Amino acid sequence: MVGFIICIILIGMTINGRDKLTMPEQFLKDSIGSVQKLIYIPASSVSNFFSDIAELKQIYKENEELRQVAALYAREKVEYNFVAAENERLQQALEFKQHQQEMYDYNYLIAQVIAINNDPNNPTININLGSNHGITKNMAVVTVDGLLGIITNVSPFTSTITPITQLNSTSPVFSAISATVLGKESESFGVLTDYDAEQERIVMSLIDEHDPMMKDDVVITSGIGNLYPRGLLVGTVEMIQVGDFGLTHVATVKPFVKMNQLTEVFVVQMNHVVDQSTTEQELETTDLNDNQKEGE
Amino acid sequence: MNIHRIVLLMLAIFILEGSLMPWLIPSSLADRLIPHFNFVLIIFSALYSSRHYALGLGLGFGLLQDIMYYGNAIGIHFFFMGIIGYGVGILFERKRLNVLVVISIIGLAYLAYDCAVYGINYLFRLANGSFPWALITHILPSLFFQLIFAIIVFIPARKMFEKLVVTNYSDTSEENL
Repeated sequence: MVGFIICIILIGMTINGRDKLTMPEQFLKDSIGSVQKLIYIPASSVSNFFSDIAELKQIYKENEELRQVAALYAREKVEYNFVAAENERLQQALEFKQHQQEMYDYNYLIAQVIAINNDPNNPTININLGSNHGITKNMAVVTVDGLLGIITNVSPFTSTITPITQLNSTSPVFSAISATVLGKESESFGVLTDYDAEQERIVMSLIDEHDPMMKDDVVITSGIGNLYPRGLLVGTVEMIQVGDFGLTHVATVKPFVKMNQLTEVFVVQMNHVVDQSTTEQELETTDLNDNQKEGE
Repeated sequence: MNIHRIVLLMLAIFILEGSLMPWLIPSSLADRLIPHFNFVLIIFSALYSSRHYALGLGLGFGLLQDIMYYGNAIGIHFFFMGIIGYGVGILFERKRLNVLVVISIIGLAYLAYDCAVYGINYLFRLANGSFPWALITHILPSLFFQLIFAIIVFIPARKMFEKLVVTNYSDTSEENL
């Protein structure tokens, strides 16, 4: 009974907000508060430490994206030559279809090498991008130096690259690559058919007799035929001689790419033109690729 | 050391061959020295434990190499690792051999293996270059590379594979009792 009355008095006295806390209250708050501070501040610094580690991953991601942007800028240099050459060739009377203009917008996926097999009859390179990342068979692969090879097998998380040293006219794995010469894209043409292992040179055949190709010209893929992208650097011309039947010339090309100790490669993703009725769909996807590139 | 630990060890060596060795071999020699350390271990198992182990390990690791690095065809390394392992096992199973003989057997086996692989690739027109060029460029340098590895791991490998057979014998003798 007494306790009840005391309780009601206590509630009545404290219910309306007071100016100052009483001394015992202040004392209690201060003493417990100091112990709370001892626990709270170390706990907050530990949790900040872990959130910093979580942000590290963010920074790493940013780094990767910036690296991709830098690689993109390196590629623009080659694309620029094509744009300049194409501008000269355009005439007002030609009718450009939208999908033809956007066909040469390539997406370069950066991939890391995870294993190299140097077996001379069967050299392969494994990378850490697979079908889950959009890789399909027969995509071309380049390094910073030039064309490396094509993707031959794809599994969900890894893929296998067959390098250009396996170019063989009799092999079912690698089909011939059409090529032209930097600076003379409309006049020169050849087909990369074989790789001579003893001299370590790519053999380019089916060159016309009156072709203006010369020694030390830079060979690039021409993209005619829509299987391989255009504008990928291959190598330099070393020697041109008359071919087997005397009708065409044959050139040996010294490849740019060094196959040893590779770390990163770029897989070139093309936006394939299937047929004209799907032009709108391609417009959407190429717009998406443009936005992705700008975002990076 | 039972067979499972040996398989795990060879698997670890396989992964290291693909990922670590390209960085250790100097890049001017990269396409001349090709590590096939699992093959050396398979020949060791043929010489010091039974030929069936050599056949099994050879088929298993040959298939693994073919699938992981599938470029042109599956089955070349698979077949030859198994057959040469089994052949060496039949000829030399559990004989008392000294070091020099073992090393020369490993050398001859590797030579046979690499020439056979080149021959099959030549048959299917997948081979690069002529046979004398291939011999000088990659078969013989890799042979020496493999022999150096064989000399380094000779004593541990022999102990490892001899224990494999001993445990089996002791198991069967206990069952007979």
